[in-house]
Amino acid sequence: MKGIAHFISGVAVASFCPWAVEAAQNGNAVYFVLGAVAGILPDTIDFKFYRFFYPHDVRVEPCSEQLDPQPIADQVAAAISAAAEGTPITLKLSTIKLSADNWRQYRVGIDPGEGEVRVQFGPVVSTGQVPQPDSLPADRPVGVSKFSATVKQGYEPVCTVDIFDGPSFLFKRNEVGEVETDFLPWHRNWSHSLVIGALLAGLASLVTWKAGAVIFGAYVIHIIEDQLGHMGSNLFFPVTKKRAPGLKWMHSGDALPNFTTVWLCCLFIFWNIYAAIENPVYHLGFIRFMMIAMVIPFAIFGLLRWLLIRADGGEPETLSTSWDV
Amino acid sequence: MILPAVAVLAGTVLACFLAILPGLHIYNVMGLVAMLLYALNGGGVASMPEVTIPFLIGLVTGWSVLNTIPSVLLGAPDESAIFTVLPGQKYLMSGRGYEGVMMIGAGSLVGVFMLVFIIGPLAPKFLPVLRCVLNPHLHWILWVIITFILITEWPKGGNWGPAGWRKFFDAWSTLGAGLLTFMLSGLLGFLLLYRSPVSVENAFQNIMPAFVGLFAIPWCLLNAVSGAEVPKQIVREDLNINGDLLLRSGIAGGIGGGFAAFFPVVTGGVGGLLAGHATAQRDERIFMMSQGVSKTVYYTGALMLFFVPGLYLTRGGGAWIIRGLYTPRTCDFYLALGSIALSGAVSFLLLSPLTKWTLKLMKKVDYRWISVFALAIIVALVFSITRWTGLFVMIVATGIGLLPVLFGSRRLNCLGMLLLPIACNMSGIGEPVAAFLGLL
Repeated sequence: MKGIAHFISGVAVASFCPWAVEAAQNGNAVYFVLGAVAGILPDTIDFKFYRFFYPHDVRVEPCSEQLDPQPIADQVAAAISAAAEGTPITLKLSTIKLSADNWRQYRVGIDPGEGEVRVQFGPVVSTGQVPQPDSLPADRPVGVSKFSATVKQGYEPVCTVDIFDGPSFLFKRNEVGEVETDFLPWHRNWSHSLVIGALLAGLASLVTWKAGAVIFGAYVIHIIEDQLGHMGSNLFFPVTKKRAPGLKWMHSGDALPNFTTVWLCCLFIFWNIYAAIENPVYHLGFIRFMMIAMVIPFAIFGLLRWLLIRADGGEPETLSTSWDV
Repeated sequence: MILPAVAVLAGTVLACFLAILPGLHIYNVMGLVAMLLYALNGGGVASMPEVTIPFLIGLVTGWSVLNTIPSVLLGAPDESAIFTVLPGQKYLMSGRGYEGVMMIGAGSLVGVFMLVFIIGPLAPKFLPVLRCVLNPHLHWILWVIITFILITEWPKGGNWGPAGWRKFFDAWSTLGAGLLTFMLSGLLGFLLLYRSPVSVENAFQNIMPAFVGLFAIPWCLLNAVSGAEVPKQIVREDLNINGDLLLRSGIAGGIGGGFAAFFPVVTGGVGGLLAGHATAQRDERIFMMSQGVSKTVYYTGALMLFFVPGLYLTRGGGAWIIRGLYTPRTCDFYLALGSIALSGAVSFLLLSPLTKWTLKLMKKVDYRWISVFALAIIVALVFSITRWTGLFVMIVATGIGLLPVLFGSRRLNCLGMLLLPIACNMSGIGEPVAAFLGLL
């Protein structure tokens, strides 16, 4: 999920703790801030600290002037073949920055069935990953390179490289001799462990167990939310060494689940602080509240959107690029 | 009936001229209008609410719709700085400035529609409940927002090269600059709040020089020294938007702008940031239109809340200025909604010809000179109200405001000037912090 969903989930967890609401009523914001920080902390560790120190054995850095996919395919295939020999290889696919807001997109597909890596260059995209019109290269050969290994895909078979920091992989031979592809090996690893969450909560509990409880709850909700996606998390590091696969119910960037989570958390926070009022001026029931604040607005939004899309030809606009490796 | 309508139109037309000047904030102008009204009242000339209220609403609504023009057309950035500016300016640099302005304008029209037909009718029933429940919790909400602003800034560097400290420091240069900007502007905010060098007579415009320095001057300076040439602009009437995009923009911008209008100290920029993250919209068209919705709902909505029966909430500079002049009655709410509708519609109709006129002006006069002209007006305004002391505050604030421009961090960090001291005050730690800083 996106950062704000984790962040507000942490705040919502804090709102379920009566001591946090009581402290807030007395002017003390610390539990809510702790919940917010702990809610987003696993990703903050990964994206703002750990990834800069994660070493890569192979860094694929394509040239922006000469769009030749073959060297990229060769380097990826060589890394897979080397991993099959028994040496774990970490590989980074670097992005191609053209200007302050323009990036050349390319895609790398690993096809275990054919035993080959395929690479092709795509359009120029903005930092918002929106393709620029007429920016596909005129000549777009597909670079193909064979590898000699049985590959077990750990994530999606085609990887798109475009903005900021490019993706990285860990290719590692498992006990049955297959090469496992571990996408973004530095992400959702040790930082996304329940054990680490408990450890941090334990440290905070040295000050007060109440802070520890908020931190643990917020940390756990982050990991649970991530588990709904594709990648999963290394749930019990250091006991477990690999990520447990996610439930694949959503992608982390999907708009609807992210917004629904944020909105639902806001409603929970509101309800919890309302419930803590001793003699409320206004009287609300939970079901009625959820109907007015969530069910009815979402239903109206859904209906309106359906009508508008229908009026516009029946298909919602998407930003996906019409090309694949 | 005729008199309020004329007053709204007068406010809207005046807003047209004010909105074209980059960096000039409508609240500064409203402050001057308020000072004039006070002077008139002092001289025995009573102002009529049915004229002044629609006039001021026309000013705010018109400005919130039409200030899109300078923000898109007169903010031509250097290549090195383009990443830090809105997609609207990317439209300008690809010759589609008109399209960018009209797209944001369409968002503003959606914002006006939401205010008049959705938020307005529902506000008297729901907002008093919301205020009653949330009032004791505003302080931590503000702290949580500050935490979000600081913790979610994305490192822009550190994308290439071998792993290690060098990569880490490259990434953290923008984040560090963001944190530094927030802290320095927060300190400036404390200084202005507890020991303002601006004279008591001008306390009304106390933070104006700092705001101008933090936001407007760096923008004008950046434009004035920019080496970028604005390409030939193409006026395309087809905006390539549809009902679905407008709906999604309305939701995103309405939530952001509404949040900012309702919560104290939270500005439209913060609301837009939160809504942008929450609704996870990648499409630049939705982003731009949602910014139009957000700023209109924020500025005009904050003013509208002052008139909502049973709420009478004072949020935003406009409401604070009107509050000093007048106490609202229930019937004024409908006058306010009508004024918003009329001014919003007229402003939108004026948007296209004014944009075309500005584009013509830009052909004749280099945008750098327009920025220099705007800079001169802003500096003159600051000097005329706050004299040398205000100019000094403005220069200090400009130094802070240039940090995010130079390092590519979020300009929103400059809002530390308001957020930090007020969050401290709301939590009851403002005075101890001020004492620690030697300000008491």
